[in-house]
Order: sequence, then C-alpha cells, then structure tokens
Amino acid sequence: MTLQAVPQPPDRTGGRTGDASSPAGLPIAGNDVALSFENISMQFPDGTQALEDVSLTIRKGEFVSIVGPSGCGKSTLLKIASGLFPQTSGIVKVDRSQLGYTFQDATLLPWRKVLGNVELLMELRGFSPEERRRIAMEQISLVGLDGFAEHYPKRLSGGMRMRASLARSLALNPSVFMFDEPFGALDEITRERLNDELVSLFMRNGFSGLFITHSISEAVYLSSKVVVMSRRPGQILEVFDIPFAYPRDPELRYTPEFATLCSEVSVSLRNAIEN
Amino acid sequence: MTQTQPSSNLTAHSPVPFTAERGTLGNLLMLLVPPLVLFGMFILLYAMVRANLEPHRQFLMPSGYELWDKAFGLSDVRWELLTRSLTTLGIALAGLCISIPVGILLGVIMFRATILERAMFPNIVAFQSIPTLAIIPLIQTALGFGTLPKVLIVAKFTMFAIPITLLLGLKSVDRGIINLFRLQGASWRTTLVKACFPSAAPALFAGLRIAASLAVISAIVSELFFLAGRGGLGQMIINSKIDFKYEQMYAALMTATFLSVCVYIAFTWLGHWLFSDWHESGGKET
Repeated sequence: MTLQAVPQPPDRTGGRTGDASSPAGLPIAGNDVALSFENISMQFPDGTQALEDVSLTIRKGEFVSIVGPSGCGKSTLLKIASGLFPQTSGIVKVDRSQLGYTFQDATLLPWRKVLGNVELLMELRGFSPEERRRIAMEQISLVGLDGFAEHYPKRLSGGMRMRASLARSLALNPSVFMFDEPFGALDEITRERLNDELVSLFMRNGFSGLFITHSISEAVYLSSKVVVMSRRPGQILEVFDIPFAYPRDPELRYTPEFATLCSEVSVSLRNAIEN
Repeated sequence: MTQTQPSSNLTAHSPVPFTAERGTLGNLLMLLVPPLVLFGMFILLYAMVRANLEPHRQFLMPSGYELWDKAFGLSDVRWELLTRSLTTLGIALAGLCISIPVGILLGVIMFRATILERAMFPNIVAFQSIPTLAIIPLIQTALGFGTLPKVLIVAKFTMFAIPITLLLGLKSVDRGIINLFRLQGASWRTTLVKACFPSAAPALFAGLRIAASLAVISAIVSELFFLAGRGGLGQMIINSKIDFKYEQMYAALMTATFLSVCVYIAFTWLGHWLFSDWHESGGKET
C-alpha cells in the first residue's frame, strides 16, 4: 500500500487560536498516517549497521522529534524516508511528492538571491514564473525576511539563511516536513525564536513534522511526541507524549512541567548513550 | 607538599586604537607606489644591462630615445604594430574559441561518469605532454602554412587547464545541493545546468585565465614557425631581427606583452563581474 497524495490546504484562519474540535489544539486531529517506518533496518555497504528494526508512525498533524546519540542513524532515517538512501529491509510509507526536507545547513545556492533560492524547488517542479514569484514573496514574508529578497546568501546571518531554507521548503506546502537538525548551528536565542516561529508555521500550514535534534528542550518544546533512539545500531528506546497544547507559549519553557519532561527525556537519553 | 607561588607575569596592556582609515594621501600612495616600484625596478634592470654592454652591442638594449625615434615614433611602424597585433589577437582568440568549448565538453564528459574520466584523463595529460614545438614541422607538413595550423597550435596550448579546472569545480559541488535537486526528481541535465555549472564556474574561470594568458604567447610562438604571408607580431619579431631593426623588435615584444596582459585582464574582469556578488573569492567584505 502506498499513501495517496492528499493535498493539504493550509488552515489560514483557525489554526492559531486552537480549534474547539481538537482538544489538544492540534491543527488536524486524526488517525491518518502521514509517514510510517515499518521494521526498518539499514546496513551500509561497508558493513556499518546504522538502524535496526525501527518502527515509527507519524500521524497527520503530529510533530515528532527524534533525539539520540551522535551517529545513531537519525539522519539516515530521514534519508530513507526521502528516498536518498534505500533501506536494507522494512517498509516506508510516505507520499514523497508531498515531502518537505530541511537539511542541517541551509544549502542555499550561493549564486542565487534569496528570492531565487526560495523559487528553486517550485522551478524544479515546473511552476509558472508568476506563480513562483507570488508564492516565494509570500513565504519570504512569512519567515520574516521581508526586504531581503534581493540579498545573496553570503550577506545573511546563519539564522536568516535557515529562514530562507525554511521558506524554500514551505513554498511547496508539504504535508510532511522533515527537519535534520536545522537549528543546530545557531545560538540559543535565535534557536528559540525560530522554534517559536516553527510552531506558528506548523499551526498555520498544518503539516506533519519529523524533527531531528540534539537539544532536548527544543524537542520537547516543538513536539507532540519525542522519540529517544539508542546508540548505533539505532533502535527506538522510548517514546514520550508531550501533553502541552498548541500553540505553545514561549513561557512554557520556564514551567516546572516542562522541566520535568525535559529531565525525563534527558535521563532516557543518558541511558541510551551509556548502555 | 609545598605550595609554589605562581610566578606573576602580568603585563598591563593599554587600549590600542584601531589603525585609522587611509586618508587621501594614503589612497594616493596606494595608487602610485605599486607602479612606481615596478617602474623603478624596470629602470634599474635597463640601466644595469645597458651599462654592461660594450658599445658595439648597445643595439641589444635600445635606449628609450631610440625606441621612440626608430619605432614607436614612426607612424608606419605604429600602423604595422596595430595591424599585426590584430592578426595575432585574431589567432589567439580563434584558438580560444576552439579550446574553450572543447575543454568544457571534455570536462562535462568526464564528469558524467567515472569510467569516462578514467578513460579520458590520461589522454588529456598525454596530449598536454606532447612538446608542441617539436610537432610543428609535422603540423606544417599536414596542414600547410595558413591560419588554421596556427589556430590549432593555440588551441592545443590553451586547452589543458580548462577541463582540469572545470572537472575539479564540478566535483566540488555541495552534496546537499545535489540532494536537494535529487529530492525534486531533477534530471541530470537540470542538475548540471542549475547546480553544477554555476557552482563550478569560478573554478572554470581560473582555468580560463590561465588559458587566456597563454593564448597570445602561443599565437606568437606559432607565428615564429610560419613566416609565409603577412603574419602578426611573431613574424614582425623575426623580420626585425633579419633587418637588424632591434628597436622594432622591442616595440613588437612590448606590444605582445601588452596584448597578453589585456586578454588576461579581460577574462579576470569578466570573472569578477560574474561572480563578485556571491562567490567568496570576489567582492567587498561585509
């Protein structure tokens, strides 16, 4: 079975305030599967066993973060989902035409201005120039880069480059959005701001998220579910449900409940590294 | 255990002001000093050579006055320099018109598949290693004494750097960018045109600059071997030796150098104009 392409009209009205129909305040509540890994194992040609029997389901409207030791195969999981690597065994169910992917670094084309970069994916998908321009300007504004459309990436800060990278992926309005440690290289304050903005984008566009990070507080703040993976070969050790309602208040980070959850994830992660 | 007193090496550092920006005088010096140094060295060399030449051999290094009086000052010599420069420039540019597309094509073919790279790279190196001057007689016999053999010699001289630098540039494209294209299902051609070429262009231009600097030189070298018909500056150098007009030989040499530098600068400017906005190698620091 492969998933059908389900175009996801962005929820432009009610998302932010939290719909009455969804008790947790999720943009879309439902049991439809957005992305699922079924017994995925991955062995590289050099014999490295990267993943072992990983099963994980991301439902529509869920935001799942994966934390785990370095080199545990988190990124490999995303590459398998996107088709960049083929898995050795197991099944991935995903609609790849609806997949957004943000890499560790912004991977902007240095010879294109911000506008050209944001237009790139639409260009490769064959959108008309007018449509490209219109959507790109909309996304640039949405990620807070107004006035920077004509700047080359060289002239932008790390945070701004990441915003441009997000805008580029958002332009295709993906229904599943995968993030591979996108904010890892940014300073704490910029990272927190981008986290807040990512939550708003999540509410607004209603995609399903799969987010890889080394930061536990980032994972807990963004996600409806946090998955802890073991050392290589990567296996899923523990899954934490994060009960806080969306949209998330930045002050949430300073509440005792948040701290308790972070420490639980932290203990689990420490066990993952030590065992 | 006795606690040894840490020796105190503290030194007080007072604030040091940043170097002040260059003023008008500084800018002027910045503009004037480099050419003055170059000119001074040139004069020094000239004086040393001339001082050590016996009187009957002074013609080997004509004075500035003689250079003007018997070469640059004469309108027919100036006209000859101009027309011959154009001939030489034509040969150089025609050679580049062959070597650049062929070189780019070779680079792309080698980039397409490792097996093609393996097959072609040694041949390109071998082709470059053929001593060009040694095969000129062969070229003359095969292709005669027209313009074509000279153009081909220039093409052979200038081609090597192009596929080598282009291939290096194409292979250095950011993996992330390639993945980005792959994820959208972009074809090899789209990826080549939209990702690899722009990314490799600065490296290619480094190769083009090398090629450009060789083009005029190799055009003149080729002319030294093809004296039939009315040729360019190379022929003028040979002719002025035969006619014992060393002032004109110097004039031709200086013109040739000037021409070569001009072609090099043209390619450098073109590269700068194309890449300074985005590439690390160019443009102002922010």
